[in-house]
Amino acid sequence: MTTEALYYAVVIVAMWLLAWLVRSRRTARQLLFLGASYALYSSWGWWFLALLICSSLANYGFGQLLRRRPSAARLWIGVGFNLALLGTFKYLPILAGVAAPASGLAHLLLPLGISFWTFQALSYLFDLYREDDPDPSLLEFCLYMAFWPTVLSGPICRLPNLLPQFRQDFAPSLQETRRGLDRVFMGLLMMALAQILGAGLQSGHGVDGAFDSITHTWGGTDVLCLMIAYGFQLFFDFAGYSHIVIGAALLFGIRLEENFDRPYLSLTPSVFWTRWHMSLSFWIRDYLFLPLATARREIWWRNLSLVLSMVVFGLWHKGSLLFLIWGLYQGMLLLLHRQWQQLQRWAGWQLPEAVMKPVSWTVTFLALCAGWIFFRANTLSQAATMWSALLHPSSYHQHVLSSGFYVLTAVVGGGYFCVVGAASRLERAGFQLSTRLPSELKFAAYAVMFYVAVFHGAEPQGFIYFQF
Amino acid sequence: MRYVGRAVRAIVSVVIFALVLELCARVDDRISYGAPMWSSYNVDGLYEADHVGKRGKPNARYKKWQLNSLGFRGPELRPGTTRVVCFGASETFGLYEAEGQEYPRQLERDLNARAGGDVFQVVNVAYPGETVATAILRVPEIVETVHPRYAIIYPAPAEYIWLPWLDPPKSANNGVIEPLPKFELRIADRMRIVLKSVLPSRFQSRLRQHEIDRDEAQYKLMDRVPEENVFRFRADLLALIVALNARGLEPVLVTHADAFGEHPNAPDHNLLIAWRKFYPMLKEAGFIDMERRMNDVMRSIAPEENVVLVDAAREIPPTSEYFADFSHFTNAGSQLIAQKLAEGMKSAVGGGLHAASSPARVNAAMASNSE
Repeated sequence: MTTEALYYAVVIVAMWLLAWLVRSRRTARQLLFLGASYALYSSWGWWFLALLICSSLANYGFGQLLRRRPSAARLWIGVGFNLALLGTFKYLPILAGVAAPASGLAHLLLPLGISFWTFQALSYLFDLYREDDPDPSLLEFCLYMAFWPTVLSGPICRLPNLLPQFRQDFAPSLQETRRGLDRVFMGLLMMALAQILGAGLQSGHGVDGAFDSITHTWGGTDVLCLMIAYGFQLFFDFAGYSHIVIGAALLFGIRLEENFDRPYLSLTPSVFWTRWHMSLSFWIRDYLFLPLATARREIWWRNLSLVLSMVVFGLWHKGSLLFLIWGLYQGMLLLLHRQWQQLQRWAGWQLPEAVMKPVSWTVTFLALCAGWIFFRANTLSQAATMWSALLHPSSYHQHVLSSGFYVLTAVVGGGYFCVVGAASRLERAGFQLSTRLPSELKFAAYAVMFYVAVFHGAEPQGFIYFQF
Repeated sequence: MRYVGRAVRAIVSVVIFALVLELCARVDDRISYGAPMWSSYNVDGLYEADHVGKRGKPNARYKKWQLNSLGFRGPELRPGTTRVVCFGASETFGLYEAEGQEYPRQLERDLNARAGGDVFQVVNVAYPGETVATAILRVPEIVETVHPRYAIIYPAPAEYIWLPWLDPPKSANNGVIEPLPKFELRIADRMRIVLKSVLPSRFQSRLRQHEIDRDEAQYKLMDRVPEENVFRFRADLLALIVALNARGLEPVLVTHADAFGEHPNAPDHNLLIAWRKFYPMLKEAGFIDMERRMNDVMRSIAPEENVVLVDAAREIPPTSEYFADFSHFTNAGSQLIAQKLAEGMKSAVGGGLHAASSPARVNAAMASNSE
């Protein structure tokens, strides 16, 4: 637990009480939310807040221009502004760091959440260009850009989803509050698990220690275990954070876009990308892939669009060669899967489902986890060494990771699949855990989650997606 | 009736929440440290009472603090090593450092790295709250059981703020340690630690100030430590050096480092309030003055008694990198003081001291490794 987390908790409780006081006064409530959003965002730096306000005002202005006469030129001015803003803070320092490490540009600080709120601004402009006009006021648009649960790390929201909710009266219901709390506690537990995986059971014996201290003595099983462990660390970290954000917004009666939907149960890479970081992958699909893919009719162009979209997906995280390769890898995986489906149809192969499902799941899971090597490796050479160990059968006889790490990964990963599997079966049988569990049992579960989150999630190592 | 039912369920849920939290804390202690599930488990379990005051209970363990069969923090004695004992208080015993990172352990590693083998063993004979006065009384027993060659003295001057506390029977609570409480909420201690780490320091200072205001009425408030106390510190220190010399040990005196620079700033003031909470009779400015005067005493004694002096007060930068609070070290702080001590001991070895087992080897190895 950090001081910031405590501030957030206190501010949320205070804001809830104030929101209830102004529950039927729309403007007052929106002003309250905006004030709280700016106050929380400014705790990371006044300069960041100034930039967010400037971007909000500029994009609202571009929106007004587009509303008067939607034209490609006006759209591109707005898009150019946002890309320039993102490029200046996200990619220019990296380029400057290579070209002129001593220059001030190389040390430009990345405003927290800029990738997320810039994409929200872009989606607003694209929607206006498509003449899908929700017509927000300046206050509503600024709130959309800065809304406190999402401004730091998403989910990336769409104005048509949020605006009606900003306008409706705040009428908290017991059921929604419970659901919100459920998700907050679930998120806390998941983030704590991510931190345990990152730090390890003994200090330095977790994912972070392995990536940061081991350089060239990898065995194949080490890499296999590490990529799976990191896959779970990243998932628990980001999905946990998303649960907290969605749950916190739900306490105020606002339903945000979902960001994860049991992605590791996916049987194919294309299904995975409809379940992982959904708000970004749907953004890429709607505003990049579909416009690109439908620009020409040729198959090769559609495939190229797919790969290009995934490369942008990768570079959205960070302007580095590793993320470019990661995007390329994911694009190639999607492409391979598509070619495989076509080949299957053409050849008429049809394996029994009992065989096909486990094989598909295993191949998909391992291929996706192998991709995380590019996502997490500190250098390109480290990624290459790890891939080399993974692909060389002779390397599988040696291992440098502690046995405790293998056990931890097996317990956490296995535990996740058991819990998710059991929950899915119960849901199919019509038993909704979240609504049917007696409140006393729920409070006992809350206590366990709270304990793990507060007393074992206290390592100040930070939320992974803050860096993006 | 419906509302009463709801209220009862809400209360039951809160009670369940608290009970499960407590259960989690106990299971966690059990898994992490092998702690008992249901009986008492607190820091007092590390100590027992004797004629001098409190001493370590052989083989006791509480969380990261593990005592050996002699009741000292650290591993068992290894035969054939040249032993160095560390006298001191909580700074030496180690509070914030990770297990094995307290400065005596780091010093041992540093010395052995310089010596090129398992030549030295550093034995941490300090306890929190130990004074120079009580250390003198322990010297015979320590020499008899540990057979050390060198003794590092890192005294805590703050123990001399209030002389009545130096009286051994009083400090030992008349020779009896308070019985352990039958039931304690382990979650409460954890919550306190978490709150301490997340509450703004200004807010914590206000709470501490409130406690100080309540407690200071019991004492005569002082602007600075009386000269009489400084004399007592000097006398005790001299007596300890004499006692060690008489048993053939070579003392190394270490001035007391703290987290305060020449001119304390606002964060320093918060730390001073945190320190004062333990000594409400002395005003904040008095602590800085005390440190300066007590360290001057050590600086004057060292040449008089021909004792090696390591001036940690001047050599450890007063920053949060090295200090976890007003005077206790972080891992990095312990590493730095261990390094300074190892360098200081090298000069002691060069000054004619001999390691018990193989002096020529030790001297040569230390000289070559320090190049």
